Amino acid sequence: MSKRWLFTLLSLLLIGSFILSACGKATEAPATQAPATEAPTEAATEAPTEAPTEEPPAEPVTIQFFYPVAVDAPIADILKGYIAEFEAENPDINVEPVFSGGYGDTYTAIMTAIDGGAEPPAAAVLLATALYDLVNADAIVPLDGYLDQMEDKDAYLNDFFPAFMENSTYDGHIWSLPFQRSDVVLYYNADLFKEAGLEPPNSWEAWGQAAEALTVRDGDNVTRWGLEYPSGWPYWLFQPLAIGSGQNIVGDSDTEVYFDNPDVIEAVQFYIDLSHKYHAMPEGVQAVWGQAPTDFASGQTAMIVHSSGSLRGILDQADFEVGVMPIPGQEPDTYASVPGGGNIYIFKGAPQEKQDAAWRFITFLTQPKYAADFSINTGYIAVRQSAYDLDAMKAYVEQVPQALATRDALQYAGREFAVQDLGEVRNIFHDYLQKAYNGEMTPEEAMAAAQKEADAALEPFRP
Amino acid sequence: MSTRRTRSLVPYLLILPTFVFVAAFTIWPTINAIYTSFFRQRLNVARFREPTFIGVENYVKLFHDPRFLNVLRNTFIYVLGTVPASIIVAFLFAWLVNRKIKGVGWVRLGIFHPTILPMVSAATIWMFFFTPDYGLFNTTLSRLGYQGPQNWTGNPHLALLAVMIVAFWKNAGYYMIFYLAGLQGLPHDVFEAAVLDGATTWQQLRYITFPLLRRTTLFVTTIAFIGAFQTVDHIFVLTQGGPSGASTVLLYYLWQIRFEYQDVGKASAITVILIALLLIFTVSNFMLSERKEEA
Amino acid sequence: METKATSRLQRWLWTLIAWGLAALWAVPVLWAFAASLRPADEPIKRGDVWFGSTLTVENYSRAWSLAPFGQYYLNTFAMVGMILGVQIITITLAAFAFAHYRFKGRKLLLYLILLQLMIPTTALLVPNFATIRSMGLYDTIFAIAIPYFGSAFGTFLMRQAFLEVPRDLVDAGIMDGCSWWQLLRYVYLPPSMPTLTAFALSSVSWHWNEFLWPLIVTKSDAARPLTAGLVRFTQLGEIGAQWSLLSAATLLVAGPLFLLFLIFQRRFIESFVHSGLK
Repeated sequence: MSKRWLFTLLSLLLIGSFILSACGKATEAPATQAPATEAPTEAATEAPTEAPTEEPPAEPVTIQFFYPVAVDAPIADILKGYIAEFEAENPDINVEPVFSGGYGDTYTAIMTAIDGGAEPPAAAVLLATALYDLVNADAIVPLDGYLDQMEDKDAYLNDFFPAFMENSTYDGHIWSLPFQRSDVVLYYNADLFKEAGLEPPNSWEAWGQAAEALTVRDGDNVTRWGLEYPSGWPYWLFQPLAIGSGQNIVGDSDTEVYFDNPDVIEAVQFYIDLSHKYHAMPEGVQAVWGQAPTDFASGQTAMIVHSSGSLRGILDQADFEVGVMPIPGQEPDTYASVPGGGNIYIFKGAPQEKQDAAWRFITFLTQPKYAADFSINTGYIAVRQSAYDLDAMKAYVEQVPQALATRDALQYAGREFAVQDLGEVRNIFHDYLQKAYNGEMTPEEAMAAAQKEADAALEPFRP
Repeated sequence: MSTRRTRSLVPYLLILPTFVFVAAFTIWPTINAIYTSFFRQRLNVARFREPTFIGVENYVKLFHDPRFLNVLRNTFIYVLGTVPASIIVAFLFAWLVNRKIKGVGWVRLGIFHPTILPMVSAATIWMFFFTPDYGLFNTTLSRLGYQGPQNWTGNPHLALLAVMIVAFWKNAGYYMIFYLAGLQGLPHDVFEAAVLDGATTWQQLRYITFPLLRRTTLFVTTIAFIGAFQTVDHIFVLTQGGPSGASTVLLYYLWQIRFEYQDVGKASAITVILIALLLIFTVSNFMLSERKEEA
Repeated sequence: METKATSRLQRWLWTLIAWGLAALWAVPVLWAFAASLRPADEPIKRGDVWFGSTLTVENYSRAWSLAPFGQYYLNTFAMVGMILGVQIITITLAAFAFAHYRFKGRKLLLYLILLQLMIPTTALLVPNFATIRSMGLYDTIFAIAIPYFGSAFGTFLMRQAFLEVPRDLVDAGIMDGCSWWQLLRYVYLPPSMPTLTAFALSSVSWHWNEFLWPLIVTKSDAARPLTAGLVRFTQLGEIGAQWSLLSAATLLVAGPLFLLFLIFQRRFIESFVHSGLK
């Protein structure tokens, strides 16, 4: 019996080599490539992270830092630079940055790792709104313990823009700190406004009329829209309308939504009016989020509502004066916006010393100096207010005054939509919002249905 | 069939390597999914984080959920729309390029190349094609007299069609290759005899080509059907299942439930339903072809 | 004479139609190529969607700088090669067993293996991830490859090819006293090489383009393949779609595969044609 086993095993190997040599081009590649696969072992990846230090401590801690890339900027290189400086200051810590796709991919990668029993990264940048899901999954640790040890805790916390801290607190704890943050703004072609003798809009009505006036038609064909307002990431861009109408879709509670509030319904109606009443915007859902900045920069639309994160790309491409302002509100001289983007979290599954190291890295990254530098290099808003007092930042905003406008829009910002069971509730809202945009339901019907389903989804979370 | 009957261990040992990998990465996780589908486990609800046995409740809830029923409906439209269309066109392509044409290699490559493009890239390119006003798909259509809505990925009646078009474009060339292989294997003399008998092109197709290609068709149908259930990359890129769930298909929904809603139990139940649907089709299809073969 | 003229006309017509259709089918990729050579500061707009004012390769160099493509290429080659190398062995052996022998549980085993054809890997992401973890393979190229070491598709294809091998040949081999592996090597394999090549090419293009699984089981650039690098471009969530940059990145990822198929297109199609997939 054992002889036969041996024979079979040998034959397996033999046949393997026969086949490999027999079928020519298609299989030569694997044979020669096979050794390369040995390369990415643990040892190989960790080798370059040994920090050259004068007095190396016993055992440097290596932490992983997962981050998404969501803007057109060399985030990887920027972070590498910060990490080199951090490691020079902290020879006992190595940081291994891990790029993990977009926000969704990064979240999935971490959650899958935790599910699969793997050690999560010590720290990661995830959407600020992921808070409840992360806490409920018991994935992250509160930061209060670390914050309490700070001498200047209050000064530190208060220096963050309050709008960026709105989704950091839950259950009496602080769970995350802002890192790469943006907000929703209105970009307008200032040259076209001047030509037409228009002022930047200060109310819904002024906005609609300006958009109507700037729409150019050639017969039935529109050659320039007054406004493009993407609905590909629906709740986020919609929120400024709701806030400007007088009622955000979410309040302080993590289990209450205000979809069927009359003000919210008015906001939905206004979005529809921009197409139907003012004829200034393409009808229905405008799914392609990425197209709007390009259309704006190439003069095919006079205004867009978009993320402040698009500022750099637009300025690079546009050959006209780009105006940036908060979203006009319903009443004259009211405005609205909503923050977006990612915060840094520390993960529970990482060993204590890695969590501690991650905290030191976070405090390093959130220094005004780096907040300013990150903002200058990416187009994100610097998360610390004092960053704007630094010389580098002053020089930057002098050159790019629009960067200040994106910051100033924050004062009109409401809380970004985050509740328990966010994935499901958000999808419910998206479904019905898009039904209303597409005219499949009236705004009243759609929002009533959204409210009903959202309430049902949130029921298990209510006390 | 004159295959050798044997009691030796050799055939088992030969199959062993394949079986081990299939068992570890397909069969075991499938059993695991069936098992967990009888439990309630929601990772984002603190008190449901630990699994609790609830019998078939996940299934009952799913089949009473209009959202899920809509997903099933979309899935059927998607599958029944893309599979026959791409197979028919694949056959026509194969029939077309199976003749003496100048530069036939380039023509074949022209039709085949979408197959080797990553789906994500293909979808990204199509995202531009679907752009209202000046996307090439729309400009071409309007030149041909189309006057309907142009926001393909945002319109509830067009979004599913849009993702189907991309899949159709990408797959037709792949299936064409199988038909081309089939066509080239057909006996020439039969056609010559048919031509002498005065058979029209259509009669040749109808009475000779189609029947002789039955096995190819079964094979292509099977892989096309499975493929249609399995590809969602382009939905991620183009529509994210929207608007209002109009382009959400089963596998995309599974992804949402598992990774966005963190509902492990429900996701497992959907996995089982997905597997069951695939099994019903493929096994019956396969058995049909085996029976023909043995007859 | 007249029939000759019409048949020539017909051939002309068919050539025209075929070329027209092929061109139509290729428009998306041709456009991507044109767009990738367009200067980045010339946004695509109405009536101006192809080439820009000049041709430039700056999009390629920018894409190259945004992700470590060199490393990704190596990883992809290694991953695709490893999968194919192992698959060729496993499927040949298994297919031979199914085609040559009759044994207890043959049908059952075949159906069990065919399960793999039907069950999407995406659906089994989480349990498979746990398996990879417990094997200690997380974040290696091995982790991406190992679930595909057994291939139901390949086993099935090769079995079909082996079944086409004339019985007389096999019997003659047995009469000559060939051992099973000699039978496989000298009788079954030679006429089945086209099928194996066809499978190899399918496998390469499939795994080259695999997307979600590599993203989940790897985290460092040292283990990630090209497609994972592509997400940097396709998921630029907060910014404008930069078609030129996206096109360049796409073509960087698909380029080698295109080249491979361009060079070997004749052999490739031929091998499919002669593969007995019918």
